[in-house]
Amino acid sequence: MSYAYLFKYIIIGDTGVGKSCLLLQFTDKRFQPVHDLTIGVEFGARMITIDNKPIKLQIWDTAGQESFRSITRSYYRGAAGALLVYDITRRETFNHLASWLEDARQHANANMTIMLIGNKCDLAHRRAVSTEEGEQFAKEHGLIFMEASAKTAQNVEEAFIKTAATIYKKIQDGVFDVSNESYGIKVGYGGIPGPSGGRDGPSAAAGGCCS
Amino acid sequence: MLESEVHDLSDDADYAASQQQGSASMMLRSDSTKNSLREDAEIVFTKENVAIHPTQFASERISGRLKLIKQNSSLFMTWIPYKGNSSEARLSDDERNLYTIKAVSFTEIRSIRRHTPALAWPYIIVVLSSGLAYPPLYFYSGGVKEFLATIKQHVLLVRSEEDANVFLVNDFQNTLQRTLSSLELPRAVPIACGPSNLSVDESVLNENQGRADNDVNNGSFSAAQFHGRPSHKVDPARDLSINVLEKFSLVTKFARETTSQLFRENHSNGFSERRTHAQTNLDHHPRKSSHVEEKTSDESCVALDSQEFDNLSLVWGKPRQPPLGSGEWIIFLDSEGRVTDSEALRKRVFYGGLDHELRNEVWSLLLGYYPYESTYAEREFQKSVKKSEYENIKNQWQSISSAQAKRFTKFRERKGLIEKDVVRTDRSIPFYEGDDNPNVNILRDILLTYSFYNFDLGYCQGMSDLLSPILFVMDDESEAFWCFVALMERLGPNFNRDQNGMHSQLFALSKLVELLDSPLHNYFKQRDCLNYFFCFRWILIQFKREFEYEKTMRLWEVLWTHYPSEHLHLYLCVAILNRYRGKIIREEMDFDTLLKFINELSGHIDLDANLRDAEALCICAGENGAACIPPGTPPSLPVDDGSFYALQDEIL
Repeated sequence: MSYAYLFKYIIIGDTGVGKSCLLLQFTDKRFQPVHDLTIGVEFGARMITIDNKPIKLQIWDTAGQESFRSITRSYYRGAAGALLVYDITRRETFNHLASWLEDARQHANANMTIMLIGNKCDLAHRRAVSTEEGEQFAKEHGLIFMEASAKTAQNVEEAFIKTAATIYKKIQDGVFDVSNESYGIKVGYGGIPGPSGGRDGPSAAAGGCCS
Repeated sequence: MLESEVHDLSDDADYAASQQQGSASMMLRSDSTKNSLREDAEIVFTKENVAIHPTQFASERISGRLKLIKQNSSLFMTWIPYKGNSSEARLSDDERNLYTIKAVSFTEIRSIRRHTPALAWPYIIVVLSSGLAYPPLYFYSGGVKEFLATIKQHVLLVRSEEDANVFLVNDFQNTLQRTLSSLELPRAVPIACGPSNLSVDESVLNENQGRADNDVNNGSFSAAQFHGRPSHKVDPARDLSINVLEKFSLVTKFARETTSQLFRENHSNGFSERRTHAQTNLDHHPRKSSHVEEKTSDESCVALDSQEFDNLSLVWGKPRQPPLGSGEWIIFLDSEGRVTDSEALRKRVFYGGLDHELRNEVWSLLLGYYPYESTYAEREFQKSVKKSEYENIKNQWQSISSAQAKRFTKFRERKGLIEKDVVRTDRSIPFYEGDDNPNVNILRDILLTYSFYNFDLGYCQGMSDLLSPILFVMDDESEAFWCFVALMERLGPNFNRDQNGMHSQLFALSKLVELLDSPLHNYFKQRDCLNYFFCFRWILIQFKREFEYEKTMRLWEVLWTHYPSEHLHLYLCVAILNRYRGKIIREEMDFDTLLKFINELSGHIDLDANLRDAEALCICAGENGAACIPPGTPPSLPVDDGSFYALQDEIL
């Protein structure tokens, strides 16, 4: 399918926080509680539309266990966005965020957009991390933040799309050289120009997209 | 027609060279050699200047004499190369002799395919009932028609309804089978070292075909080796083209050194030509001829000498056999239950695997939990001793009170992780399906007990994948535990915190690819993909996520025989990668794309065909292959016994 841009996302965070379930909810709109645990990496993809432009999200869902970190690090390469996930019912998954962030900062490109997600917010009765703490952490580290539930689908769509919108904005603002794929962005052929004409964007990107 | 665009005889070149390279013991075992003609045989047809091409160049040919010989009521075909023809001086006598067809009986021949290209020499391909074929025989002095006419006088020869150029020999089968039989032709492969049938299916599309292929093999192997007829359904249009295009991959690389020495000077055009047109994962180049690597698709090259060469690959891996069943199993045992010849058993299991009902008994032997030389009684005794030993270790964690657990973070963490993972392991398999499935709890108990048995290693994701089939097969907690222990003796390093076991295997894999598939190696190198992380999951859990459950069990028992190598799994990686090499390079996959592509192969890999390739690669790599694999690389037992996991206590 044609797209104006392809964004590579990576989903990271401790094991069992619901990374694969978030992905499945986003790509298939379903919740599967007995999803096989992820070994290595799994992939998902979905088309979204931002500013009338078709954007393909290619999402890498990684294994969370500590011992796989050395492998996981190789997946950061060329990611435009990251969803850093913790489980609001398990404090330790929140405590490990700093180390995940350090990995991301070290191995991803500096302009990668990071969305912090406190997952399992449907389990409010078992909450171990308050929303404020999540917000605070995000603020301190310059992340976008949302609480979400892969089970109820609450905020799942929003999290993925908001991340994409942020990346898109960065493109518009000229933060990225979109011809350099190490930013995790590929320029497509745009497919059918959007109803707005497709060429009205301010973008250097639009100009370059067919070259 | 597609096949006319694919003219490449390099496979044959490699064939020749590879034979020289060390497969001599195998090469003379072709079916035809077992027939010997007596003096009273009558020659009913002779044709001079019938040649085969060991390389893709028409100038490289071996000419000889083709004969039809009648003895009693049987018809035989022979083709003997001439001795010492000066124009073919580059080929040694040995090489020439490799191709000799010594009296193959027409009872063994399934069909003959005739090719009469407009601008090149006519040739035939003789396909045996076993599905194998001889290299194309070129009639430089004409005479194909006469040849076929002569045959017709002596044996039943009918034209295939599907393809007017295919003549079926002794075909008494029904129409459907006849049709299918003709479809076998393009898949046929020249004989190298025994009856087999290599189906190289690159695409997922072709997967079914690959399976069908195996069925044919299995069916025809034991009982009716020379009369096995395919009985599967295929999509003719698709399979013809796919097979013609894609069946070559493997063999050519086996012999690269020799080949390149022989034919180095004039390769390049042919290969880029082939890549351009054939668009397949055709085989490429001898290791030493890296000068051709750069030549890819954008060149238009001089056409090859002959326009319509079938690309026929050679057969290497032996055919897969039916699984070992209980009737045959008892033959391996003496009256007290000892395995009298463990080597023979391992070999048998390697080639066919096990009937499911035997797995329980044989896996524990293959894994080394019970010694082969143990008797029934000794095994029973060990079982009871080990059961109480297991209960003791299990009791160590079961007796941890919740108050104690509060002060035992590591235990809590491990337990939490294991509990999270067992409910995410194979829950679609009936054995583990459903809420409150007791087997899921046993899985948990064994893993937790293992983390106490080997506290340094503990638990790591992937272990539940390895344990799941073992518990399913053993169906006994203690026995499954000890079999798992035995497996982890070898695979434990896969789960080291520093990933050293994985890294050593990935390193060995990169060396093997360099040795066996230099174009792919060079491609990976150029693309900065030499870490082989895209094979991580394959190796970590022995392809568990790549095959359906039953196939995984089959693969594991095959791997656990450690026949012909402890590291066959690495050759399997090479075989699979090789199969898709054409696609990988053609589509210019980068690391990300490659990772995704490899991931998505899951469920689409033809196990038997790749096992055959892996075996072939392993045998042909020989000592050079073994030298790629550092000592102690899993699943070899660790070299420095003792403190292997000493530094691992950070692991959960």
